[in-house]
Amino acid sequence: MPDPTPAPIDADSRRNLVRLLRVAYPHPRFPDGPYERTADAIIGQVDDSLWQRLVLSEGLTSLDARATADGQDSFVDLDDETALGLLRKLEDSEFFRFIRSVAVVTLYDDAEVHQLLGYEGPSFEQGGYLHRGFDDLDWLPNPRIEEYHGPEHLIEVAPDDEPTHASTQA
Amino acid sequence: MTHDTSSQKPNPNQRSDAEHLPSQQEHYGASIDHDEEAVVIVGSGAGGGTLAYELTAKGIPCVVLEAGPYLMPEDYENDEWASFKQMAWLDGRTSSGPYRVARDWPRLPAWVVKAVGGSTTHWSGATPRFRAHEFRTRTYYGDIEGANLLDWPITLEELAPYYDRAERAIGSTHRHGRPPLPANNNYKVFANGAEKIGYRFYATGPYGTNAEPYDGRPASIQDGFNFQGDKSTAKWNTAVREIPRAIKTGKCDLRCTSQAVQVTHDAGGRVNAVLYVDKAGALHRQAAKVVCVAGNSIESPRLLLMSASALHPDGLANSSGQVGRNYMRHLTGSVYARFDEPVHMYRGETMAGIIADEARQDTSRGFVGGYYLETLSLGPAFLAAFVDPGLWGPEFTEVMDAYANTAGMWIVGEDLPQQTNRVTLNSAVRDQWGLPAADVWFQDHANDVAMRNHGYGRADLLYEAVGAVGVHHTPPYPATHNLGTCRLSERPEDGVADRWGQAHDVPGLFISDGSQMTTGGAANPSLTIVALAIRQAEFIADQLGKGAL
Ligand SMILES: Cc1cc2nc3c(=O)[nH]c(=O)nc-3n(C[C@H](O)[C@H](O)[C@H](O)COP(=O)(O)OP(=O)(O)OC[C@H]3O[C@@H](n4cnc5c(N)ncnc54)[C@H](O)[C@@H]3O)c2cc1C
Repeated sequence: MPDPTPAPIDADSRRNLVRLLRVAYPHPRFPDGPYERTADAIIGQVDDSLWQRLVLSEGLTSLDARATADGQDSFVDLDDETALGLLRKLEDSEFFRFIRSVAVVTLYDDAEVHQLLGYEGPSFEQGGYLHRGFDDLDWLPNPRIEEYHGPEHLIEVAPDDEPTHASTQA
Repeated sequence: MTHDTSSQKPNPNQRSDAEHLPSQQEHYGASIDHDEEAVVIVGSGAGGGTLAYELTAKGIPCVVLEAGPYLMPEDYENDEWASFKQMAWLDGRTSSGPYRVARDWPRLPAWVVKAVGGSTTHWSGATPRFRAHEFRTRTYYGDIEGANLLDWPITLEELAPYYDRAERAIGSTHRHGRPPLPANNNYKVFANGAEKIGYRFYATGPYGTNAEPYDGRPASIQDGFNFQGDKSTAKWNTAVREIPRAIKTGKCDLRCTSQAVQVTHDAGGRVNAVLYVDKAGALHRQAAKVVCVAGNSIESPRLLLMSASALHPDGLANSSGQVGRNYMRHLTGSVYARFDEPVHMYRGETMAGIIADEARQDTSRGFVGGYYLETLSLGPAFLAAFVDPGLWGPEFTEVMDAYANTAGMWIVGEDLPQQTNRVTLNSAVRDQWGLPAADVWFQDHANDVAMRNHGYGRADLLYEAVGAVGVHHTPPYPATHNLGTCRLSERPEDGVADRWGQAHDVPGLFISDGSQMTTGGAANPSLTIVALAIRQAEFIADQLGKGAL
């Protein structure tokens, strides 16, 4: 029986994928590492599914064909705006939706990305943030933390909304 | 008699009663014979866990069947996806209908927990009470087209003493002498904005996490991971308080990774046993004189629907046809605002910030019912997934890039019960045991939409008042509050259970979780679920004592 396995994702396809991720999730601050890790996670996911492998490998190769139509040799040569425009046309395709679904839970679940975004990650082992800035915001005054005990009262039911006898019977 | 733990001396070194228990065993506590007619409780969350403790403390033997494992505080992870995979209910389930969750999360209608402690393991801790009129919405809101409103068979006055006890059990801040939590960064933005737009009724609670040592558990270290279980145990949940104490009574037989699959009755129609599957898939029968169903508002109706019999062809306790209907998920919407200055919203207690000014009935706003605004924070991993599913490109990365300068809040309000919002069995999708999965069909009522839009508008004003440079409206995500699918009613034809939560048409069967809520109120539900469970335990104990059950 002939082997129906599509060609494995080759280096060119992986390069397209990394570029696609950077265009779809543009963070000028991010180095290539997080995008490459995300690309590898996406490639790793298709091992178990022939359908996803077909979709991904065909999708990545055909990006170059789309780029040629735009007068460039390959997808990676397109400038950001042209590449973004190309992806917008593919937005609803199985190919792009699959990439997006993995990318959004992978790219931002990455220690380096957390650091780049200013998120400090696990904290319990360091004693939480109790002594590490949970209340260090200093551009606003310190607000009240107790419940309000002033002269105003919360009106639970507006006078006009008190049920009339008639509506009680309805 | 339950003992009042508020008089216990705090010991800051003690972590919780759960600390002395081994992790992830299949069985804890007493061994009750399978043929002994016990009180059988399905689920160990807010409702089931509370009931287990209250009943065993009164000397009544209980078998607790819990579908998930018993994770201990040391098992909890400071990592959003790892924690989600560890404890969320991920067995087959579907969402359907016009609401956006069906498109974005077709297999995840709800974000709830499958572990001892139930969703109180994930919960953040906001504990407002219902207001008096929220128990009487048919009277106050009138006959609204498309809504299936009904007054509760009980009043605030009747529940008030149990609210007191629930607040003491949970250790709610701002209540019964418990001090408030301090202001974290997210709260500073939230409360300053609130003050600026004229709100008055804001505070850092009431909130179910210790500001100082209480009840044998320590004060919060503001680690920002209370959705992930809270390793410090400063946060109340039934896995660190009620369940270990129930085990200590010697009367509680806790069977973990044991999923109830059918509740059966005798020839006279009385409940008589629960069938359940263990970890290996083997089916067991536990005899019962009382069965309390507390699997949360998707699994509880699913279990009753799977328990159809010749006497109850449409599902157990479903003579009214209301089992699974009137599913409510609370309004839900979030707003994330970007500032020029840092916020670091993730540091500290996630939801220790509550504004109550909009939680009132005032139809001049264009809708019935009310809502709370509460601080909310997600890490980048969850924010990316939930902020606007499907969004990508520069519009998306603009939100993510501003992470460190972002403040967040949640809109939680009363959504209207509708007959067609409904949990049914989806025989096309099976769980790992081959049983039909639950399907949740949902559509917003026009009133829900009007209220949510009002909430978004108020949140925008609030954040703009303190200098927001951009705001993002996050749509409802998989439901954390699931309510109403086995509702209480005065008359048997209007609902599933009576004023004590006992099924109208099946003696000995009780509904003991959020599914009994006749309407949802604006308040986060857990305090009410715990109060109802304490009250129900008293009733069951009284009736057992009199030989009436
Ligand atoms: C992230 C998050 C934050 C939240 N924050 C708040 C908050 O701030 N304030 C608030 O009031 N509420 C909050 N909630 C909601 C709160 O957790 C729930 O409303 C509450 O726990 C529901 O109680 P319950 O008894 O109905 O169900 P649960 O607590 O979910 O317990 C149900 C249990 O039953 C088990 N089970 C289900 N089916 C079966 C079966 N067939 N056999 C055996 N066991 C079964 C489940 O595994 C689970 O352990 C939050 C929830 C989440 C997820």
